[in-house]
Amino acid sequence: MTIRILVVDDHPIVRQGLRTLLEGRSGWEVIGEASDGMEAIEKAGQLNPDVMVLDVTMPRMNGLEACRVIRRSSPSLEILFVTQHDSPQMMREALDAGARGYVVKSNAARDLLEAVEAVSQHRQFTALNQRDSVSPSL
Amino acid sequence: MKLRILLADDHEIVRRGLCALLQKHEGWEVIGECSDGRDAVEKAKQLKPDVVILDIGMPNLNGLDATRQLMQHDPNFKVIVLTITDSDQVIREALDAGARGFVLKSDAARDLVSAVEALQHRRMFFTPRVNDLVLAGFLDKGRAISATEPPTLPTLTAREREITQLLAEGKSSKEVASLLNLSTKTVETHRSNIMRKLSFHSIRDLVVYAIKNNIIQIDMPVGAKNGSPAA
Repeated sequence: MTIRILVVDDHPIVRQGLRTLLEGRSGWEVIGEASDGMEAIEKAGQLNPDVMVLDVTMPRMNGLEACRVIRRSSPSLEILFVTQHDSPQMMREALDAGARGYVVKSNAARDLLEAVEAVSQHRQFTALNQRDSVSPSL
Repeated sequence: MKLRILLADDHEIVRRGLCALLQKHEGWEVIGECSDGRDAVEKAKQLKPDVVILDIGMPNLNGLDATRQLMQHDPNFKVIVLTITDSDQVIREALDAGARGFVLKSDAARDLVSAVEALQHRRMFFTPRVNDLVLAGFLDKGRAISATEPPTLPTLTAREREITQLLAEGKSSKEVASLLNLSTKTVETHRSNIMRKLSFHSIRDLVVYAIKNNIIQIDMPVGAKNGSPAA
């Protein structure tokens, strides 16, 4: 299955790490990168990706604000947060903002591919640091 | 002959990014990856890489203490530290530990290749801020550096710093003993010595000390911008 992905994180080295991981999956394509929320909104409109992998803490506009805007402008685009915040409150806030998935950055190498697959099929995927908190579909 | 690099960072996604960056460079090879400082020291001793890249904020043994241990084992190790901050204190500690390269994590995509190249050619690589600090210290014969030094506390030994980190990370004396191949009684003796030396009465004091002295690093809350790629 082909999935077109936009990667959003303010640190180039993290974007590179996410790209390497995502492009290891046959048929998946990272079609663009953005380094803050404003650029994410702009590129979502231009590139029309299937999935956006989005950081929370970024300059200019954070990921939560960007997520709320994108939800309205591109309702079919699924958003997966990949963040350092290993917190149920932050996860709830992300889902309330309209995200379909939430993965903790320290476990991204473990959870990312499964999460992108799930959200691309419009299934919710949330995983905090404990493996037993994973709920691939609801 | 390829330049052999050992890479240590506790975030796998960051390691993947760094590996991808380094391996684009013809003639360089990442021969090992580690997720904590203790593993990095062991692997460096085994593999004898040409360059070791160490994140400062790693569990079990931070990158600065790992650098100290490596330099003590063999002063010819060439170490680049990756850091989320170039505060005076971190710079001083990194230089003191024996690092020959100092790269901000937020600038790693731009600076890391240059840093490795510098060490490959037996030069050093520092951020402009490190250069300024070193120059200021030279011009003022150390006064510029010492003027900003925090109040000094008694110096901990390398072993005491290791134990401080592990205790501040929330490990019990028994867990520390197991990690360091010591008896629980020995760890408790070290722990008492540390608390006495620093005049601390609670583990909370020790955690605060560990954070202030870059022995452990903490994640920043949302909205607080820092240089950590984990943010």
